[in-house]
This record gives sequence, structure tokens and C-alpha cells, in this order.
Amino acid sequence: MDPPLVNDSSFSPANPSSYTLSEIWPFPVNDAVRSGLRLAVNSTPSDKDVSTAAAAAAAAEESTVTDLTAGWGGRKARALNSEENESSKMVSLSSSGNEVKDSGERKRKLCGSESRNGDGSMKPEGETSSGGGSKATEQKNKPEPPKDYIHVRARRGQATDRHSLAERARREKISEKMTALQDIIPGCNKIIGKALVLDEIINYIQSLQRQVEFLSMKLEVVNSGPSTGPTIGVFPTGDLGTLPIDLHRNIYEQQEANEPRGSHPEWLHMQVDGSFNRTT
Amino acid sequence: MASADKPINTDVPEKDVFALHFLQSLSNLRRQNTFNSPEKTNDRVKKIKKAAYVSMARAAGGTNRLWSRALLRRAAKENNKVVRLPRRKKRVTCLRRRRSNRRDPVEEEEAERLRNLVPGGGGMETSKLMEETAHYIKCLSMQVKVMQCLVDGLAPK
Repeated sequence: MDPPLVNDSSFSPANPSSYTLSEIWPFPVNDAVRSGLRLAVNSTPSDKDVSTAAAAAAAAEESTVTDLTAGWGGRKARALNSEENESSKMVSLSSSGNEVKDSGERKRKLCGSESRNGDGSMKPEGETSSGGGSKATEQKNKPEPPKDYIHVRARRGQATDRHSLAERARREKISEKMTALQDIIPGCNKIIGKALVLDEIINYIQSLQRQVEFLSMKLEVVNSGPSTGPTIGVFPTGDLGTLPIDLHRNIYEQQEANEPRGSHPEWLHMQVDGSFNRTT
Repeated sequence: MASADKPINTDVPEKDVFALHFLQSLSNLRRQNTFNSPEKTNDRVKKIKKAAYVSMARAAGGTNRLWSRALLRRAAKENNKVVRLPRRKKRVTCLRRRRSNRRDPVEEEEAERLRNLVPGGGGMETSKLMEETAHYIKCLSMQVKVMQCLVDGLAPK
């Protein structure tokens, strides 16, 4: 178990260094890469056997992924080696052959334990992308509201503990409801700022309530006005024909589907019954 | 919470139901007025207003909404009647949210005013308060419209 780990650690730092070297000094690196490729293509039969055995042992897809990555790491390391001792290519060839063998052994060992295998497949990806580690930790947090991850800022400077996440989610919820409220209230869309919007909402509600009060005062006058007369509970005879029709029409003009007549209150029936024939 | 349990048509408040309830209560008030000794006009106005609110609460789905619940409860308390409303499954546990320093104080103050304005808003979370406020506003505007129609229709020519 231990040797592959050591190999991993020895290979992984080699990757960035080889990249930088190739960037700095293109020609020898290209040569080295070509030689490495050639090596990989026409390697010695013993190496091939090792690699095929490793492939046979590795049946899963992850194993192939690890193979590829391991091969790349080996090639890069070879390139580095060959660049370091450019004078004799044969030495580099032999050394690279040894390394291929090492990588093959490592492959076999990696394939032996599947759990190790998964780790091995995950590791190079994390190393190649610098922010991979932080991504993985964020994906662990993901099952909570997915909206938080739309925010770019939420990742960087802001705290990601559950309290602040919950707070952020709550604030989003509130603002969402607030926009819904703004749509309801006429002329509230142009106002910017939560406090002002809330102020507008409060004013609107208050005005509505005042309106209700005013209307109830009016209704009180209407409702109790005729009751001072001699007729009890019924409108005066003069109004019998006109009033309820108007009332009825006014209420039900606006709505699409009329209510079934049977559910009207009795007193309405008393007055309206006569006029039903006319209205309908 | 309640809207998740049962599908109430929250979008269109029931005009019919409100008008029905309101006219019924108006007729009741009328009968009371004629039979009992004549009251002051202020009391009658108050009664009519209360009737309007109660019928609005009934029309808005009875006890499903928090504000309509609070309205009905208040009305029942004023009547000195012991009315048992059906218990909600989940009671509101947090009566007052603790205030942290991060929140905008002006905003909080406004939300507090809104809380006082919407019936039953004292024990609501802010997002819930917004939701209830939206529904309450819809119902209020419906109420105003219907009452306006009633006044127009009943006004002596």
C-alpha cells in the first residue's frame, strides 16, 4: 500500500515542474516528449507484458483513467529526466524504461484495491486544477439550497457556515416575496429600496383600511336609513323594484360566473325574487 | 404551510362568498337595530366594519390563512364567545425573531409596522409575513371593490 503513495507524491510535484520547464525551454522539452512518446509506443516486450497484465487486472473504467494519468505522469517525469541529462539519450531511455516498469507495478498495485483505485483516480484531477480541493468541499455543502451557489461572492469572501447560508437563503426568500408584493401594489415597481417599498406597502394597506372604514360608514347610513321607516326589515315599497336590481347587477357584473341562486340569503330573495325574471 | 397542505385558490379571492357573508351580516345587523334600542352611529359603523372584516376572513378560506385566522379569533374575542377554531397542525413557534446586528434597522422597523398592520402578524417570520401581506392586500382590495358596489347600489337616488 505504501509504495504507490510514495510514487504519487513523487510524481505529482514533477508535473508542474515539467510544465514550467517546457514553457521556459521549448526545444529540448519537445525532443524529450517525442522520445517519451516513442518509448511509450515501442517499449520493450517485458514492459508491454507488465502493462497488459495491469490492464487485464484493471477491468473497471476508473482503472483505465488511472492508467492514462499514470502514463502521462511517467512520460512527463521521463521528459524531465531526459532533459536533465541531454548528453546521452541511451541513459535516459534506460531510465525511462525502468520508470515505465515502475509505473506498471504501481498500476497493478492500484488495481488490486478498488478503494485505492478511486482515490488514485481522484487525486491527479485535484492536483491538475488548482481550485479542485475547494470545489470538492463546496459540493459537499451543495445538498442545501442550490441558489447559494449562483452567487459568485458567496464562494469567495463570505462565510460558508450553515448560519450564514441559512441567513442568505432567508434573505433571498424575503426579497422574492417582496417582489411578488410589489407586483400586487399598483405603482410600486418603480420604487427602489426595501425600506421605501415597505413604506409604500404599509401606506397602501392603511389606505385600504381607511377606505373600508369610510365605506362601512356609508353602508351604515344606507343600511340604517330605511329602517327608521315603518317597514321592518324590508326596504320601502317605492325602492323595491329598483334598488335590488341595481345592487345585484353591480355586484355580479364584474364576475365571470354567477353563483347559483339557491345560496342567496333569504332577505335578498325576498326583494330580488320578483326581479329575477326580469334580470335573467 | 397551510397553502402547502391544501390547495386554496389564493389568486382570486372569492367575491361571491364575501358578498354573501357580508349581506347576511348586514341583514342581521339591520334586524338587530330594528328590534333593539337604537344604538349610536359609531357603534353601528364599528359593527359593520367588523362584519366586513369577518366576512372577508371567511371568504379568504376561513382558518387556512394566518391573517384570516387572527381576524376571526379577534372577532370571536370581541363577541365574548368561546369559539374553538380548528387547530393548525403546526403552530408558529418563534414568536419574535431575534434581531441580529447585521440587519438593516430601518427595514426592521418597517417590517415591525407591517407586522402591526396585518392581523396576526406578530408571530410571523418575515418571509411568511410578506406572503400573508400579499394575500391580505388582495382580499382587502376585493373587499373595497365589493363594498363600493354595495354602496353604489344601495345609495338612495
